[in-house]
Amino acid sequence: MTVAPEKPDPDGIDQMLDELAALPVPDPSGDLVARVLVDAEAHLPAPGGRVVAAPWWQQIVRGIGGWGAVSGLVAATATGFVIGVGAVGDTGVDSFWTLGYDAAYDDTNLGLDAFGWALEEG
Amino acid sequence: MPLDARPDEDDAALLARYARGDAGAARALTVRLAPRAHAQAFRMLGDRSEAEDVVQDAMLRLWRIAPEWRFGEAQVSTWLYRVVSNLCTDRLRKRRRSGVALDDVAEPEDPAPGAEARLQDHARHAALRAAIAALPERQRLALTLRHFDGASNPEIAEQLGISVEAVESLTARAKRALAAALKGRVAALGYEG
Repeated sequence: MTVAPEKPDPDGIDQMLDELAALPVPDPSGDLVARVLVDAEAHLPAPGGRVVAAPWWQQIVRGIGGWGAVSGLVAATATGFVIGVGAVGDTGVDSFWTLGYDAAYDDTNLGLDAFGWALEEG
Repeated sequence: MPLDARPDEDDAALLARYARGDAGAARALTVRLAPRAHAQAFRMLGDRSEAEDVVQDAMLRLWRIAPEWRFGEAQVSTWLYRVVSNLCTDRLRKRRRSGVALDDVAEPEDPAPGAEARLQDHARHAALRAAIAALPERQRLALTLRHFDGASNPEIAEQLGISVEAVESLTARAKRALAAALKGRVAALGYEG
């Protein structure tokens, strides 16, 4: 006597699916078409109704290559931001002030030992 | 069912015509889409009357969404396939919640050799349909497109907007889930495994 396995193997599932797919499908009744068309008539938009275009943000997403491209762009932006913050962290927050002209390039108090002079004089 | 009156226009073009008030486009779309939707619903539900109700409901949703349809995005046929699948799933899950015995679900008339064989067929098909309805949506769509509609993996990938590898993964996971759901019932349902 053959003992059926406890769990159907993939071939068993395929067999079941094929059997279900092979069942004869009756034609839809003529009444179905009539019912569907009554609904269509009831919801028929006014003549000349406009076709809606995709919203602007979807057009932009499609324009730059879809959601895959957007995610790449976001990843690259985030990576650049992290690198930038890391660089600031290495030099200290005070380094932000060096971006101002007065603090960074005010040479009125520089003496002869300033880097430029020292370089010129060897 | 009459032949497609506008074979040179695709579904989206017909839907656009309907959205502009062309009643003839509705007839052409119905002739084109309803038979496939009915076959899909019948295979999932196993009941002609319920399948027709699902098709009417799905087509009604299509008429309602026509003015807001985003042309150039989803295919109309794919959208409808998904709607029909979800409506069928809702009905199958309600059957389970309302305590309707799976074996009581009407089956199509077919020349089964005997009453016992028919009963076993009913039980087998109902159990499989319930298991399919319990699948996550994408697994269910990939599985039914593959096995009920005979679509190839590349065709399914195009319809669902995913890769062929993803389709293979979805169908494999779906079959494992079906196997788990039907575990222990194989012999009782008349399968030899």
